[in-house]
Amino acid sequence: MDEMNDLQMTCFEIISFVGTAKSCYINAIAKAKEGAFDEAADLIKQGDEAYNGGHDVHMKLLQADAAGERNGEAPLILLHAEDQMAGTETCKLMALNFIDTYKELFALKAKVAE
Amino acid sequence: MHVMLCCNAGMSTSLLVQKMQNEVAARGEDTVIEARPMNEAMDHINEADIILLGPQIGYAKADFEKAVDGRCPVVVIPMVDYGRMNAPKILDDIKATLA
Repeated sequence: MDEMNDLQMTCFEIISFVGTAKSCYINAIAKAKEGAFDEAADLIKQGDEAYNGGHDVHMKLLQADAAGERNGEAPLILLHAEDQMAGTETCKLMALNFIDTYKELFALKAKVAE
Repeated sequence: MHVMLCCNAGMSTSLLVQKMQNEVAARGEDTVIEARPMNEAMDHINEADIILLGPQIGYAKADFEKAVDGRCPVVVIPMVDYGRMNAPKILDDIKATLA
């Protein structure tokens, strides 16, 4: 398995893109926790850009599948790539909700401190 | 030199490690490269001269840096290099970091 075939390389590309997105989303939560909401919003944006990169690569796979150009091969690495994509999507949903929660928390803290 | 590669499940990293090991052999170097899932990595953190994180756990860089406490560098593999499994580039970057 010396040479990486095309499908493996495609999977690594997806994993790298969505993996980067996941880190951005988790770092966005950390920023919101510090009250740095602008930086959090920027990290969400960076995460979306990376995620879209992975999504574009994944779309090519889906289209090839639909056009019957793929032989239905589904090695473990493809399942891992799909798993990383789905997990990152959930990460983003959670991150957005956490950011809203921390915004409310900081607003309440400010009110209490008045 | 001992390189530890981490990502959450250790799967894609283990394939990258294999490519890096082939590159190291081709270069005739005796660098040891191993892949570890994140939860296991912390127990072996003091064995490595450098720790490389896959992009999917780049967010944990600060935790790793706290764990090594300055003993060795912790580097997140750039998205493009990881996505292309660019073993030669990653090895060259390791040398540059440790130089």
